[in-house]
Amino acid sequence: MYRSHYRTTLPVLASLIGGTAIMSLPAVAQSGLNTTNLQHEVVLDGLDNPWDMAFLDDGTMLFTEKCKGLSVRMADGTVNALYGVGDTDGYPSNGSDLFCEGQAGMMGVAFDPDFANNRRIYVYSTSNMSEPHTNRLMRFSLSEDFTSVSDRTDIVDDVPYKMAASDHPFGGPGAHNGGRVRFDANGHLFLTTGDTHNGEVPQSPTMMGSKVLRIDTDGNAIADNAPPDGFDDRTYTYGHRNVQGIAFHPVTGQAITAEHGPWHSDEITILQNGGNAGWDPRPNMAGRGDCPDNYCGYSPNQEEGMNRYERAAFMPMTDFDTYPDAMPPIWNNNGWSQGTSSAAFLAGDAWGDWNGAMVVGIMGIGFGGTPIGQRIDVIQFNDDNTDVEDVTEMTLPMETGRFRSVVMGPDGSLYTAIDEGTIYKLTPGG
Amino acid sequence: MLKAFVWTVPMALCCFSAWAQNDTSGDTATDAAETTLISAEVDLAAAEKIFQKSCRACHGNKAQGAASYPKLSDKEPDYIVELLERYRSGEKIGPNSILMIQHAKKLSDSDIASLAIYVTTAFE
Repeated sequence: MYRSHYRTTLPVLASLIGGTAIMSLPAVAQSGLNTTNLQHEVVLDGLDNPWDMAFLDDGTMLFTEKCKGLSVRMADGTVNALYGVGDTDGYPSNGSDLFCEGQAGMMGVAFDPDFANNRRIYVYSTSNMSEPHTNRLMRFSLSEDFTSVSDRTDIVDDVPYKMAASDHPFGGPGAHNGGRVRFDANGHLFLTTGDTHNGEVPQSPTMMGSKVLRIDTDGNAIADNAPPDGFDDRTYTYGHRNVQGIAFHPVTGQAITAEHGPWHSDEITILQNGGNAGWDPRPNMAGRGDCPDNYCGYSPNQEEGMNRYERAAFMPMTDFDTYPDAMPPIWNNNGWSQGTSSAAFLAGDAWGDWNGAMVVGIMGIGFGGTPIGQRIDVIQFNDDNTDVEDVTEMTLPMETGRFRSVVMGPDGSLYTAIDEGTIYKLTPGG
Repeated sequence: MLKAFVWTVPMALCCFSAWAQNDTSGDTATDAAETTLISAEVDLAAAEKIFQKSCRACHGNKAQGAASYPKLSDKEPDYIVELLERYRSGEKIGPNSILMIQHAKKLSDSDIASLAIYVTTAFE
């Protein structure tokens, strides 16, 4: 597991060799060391909390805005609004049951792998159709002219939603919904969910929070899902905290999550079918007593900063003492929690040594001495693709932001959305 | 700029003596005093440093709000001052209070005044 070796390329080089760096860097960048020379382009700006994107081969891009809705940017740059959250103006149709609150709202989006034939797309959003409210994965048909959606079918309607505020940091309603929607190469649909600040959810066999669901496009479990007996058979993995990143290794095909830690230990984990990620924030177990509102997720000392390793010992992100067979993380962000969100794999020769490496978007959060850390990390695996070998902070050509989403585009560029309202395109070389 | 001016008058009065003692620019300074006073008492450069270090990561690079962190650029300065003073005292106001209390307790009155002007005017 990669814990402590951390380096930034261009800034370190520049500080070490001063003025000569300017002359030397292009040669270094092209020597195969890695790719530090990125170009950037603003694809869309002025958005309202863009959360996720999905692409067709021609560059057509679906994107969600958390409190507004679903839109599509066509290859020629025109944007069509498609499906609004609640009564948001400007959309040809709206989900009157959809709403946003705190971290909740419209989140992940995906094209069906067979979109060219079936016109299907998938969107995950918070809904008040049920009491208590839930998060739902909706399937739509997208019109031939990309101007409207129809045939909404909620293929998952029971992902828990946090209805009321609790006595926790970020304790408002709507916390921890997960939210990423991705297909693997087999056409299986993965949905990541969160713990909703509820201590019972992560290890629950039936509550579908804190899970990675693996389903078909009707919402049915994949036949060889292998959760423990008694679990909902849509469960691929469980015992997560709040998974917002999932991507599939280009060689092994394995699903790999990037997960936001509890003021310590952001994690990257290679998923095992039926595996337990080991998050269990229940009170009165694992050496803990009572916790605020029966959730120990920020304990101890949830109102003050403290040493991250002491915090991890008290409330581990992956509790191997209680769950010795838990899936081991292969990266823990040096013990920090800085808002790790989305994940993707770079693809294309233009990325040089980074071709095939994982990228992780980190939103940044400064609390109790934690460095804010807004960045995109490049995670390189070992030859066996079983562990992290190297981590490099991407040298960005633009201002940093809250990197909510990273998605590989069909043009070989990496697209990233920041909460501040911008979707960027990052292209190697130039 | 009007809302900035109206709010900054009290700050200017309380700090005027210090400004006057340090002034060596001559008679013409009087005519320009009001304008100079605003920029002198509300230290926007200092506010920008605090904003970049403590506010930007959550509230956005233009104080436009992001995720569950509210927009600041559309607020009135006195609202920002009131909230920061209440957070500084340790009062919980909303779900992100723990983050805000941690940052606000480090701020001086001058820091709060400057931040209030900065976040409500710098991104217009």
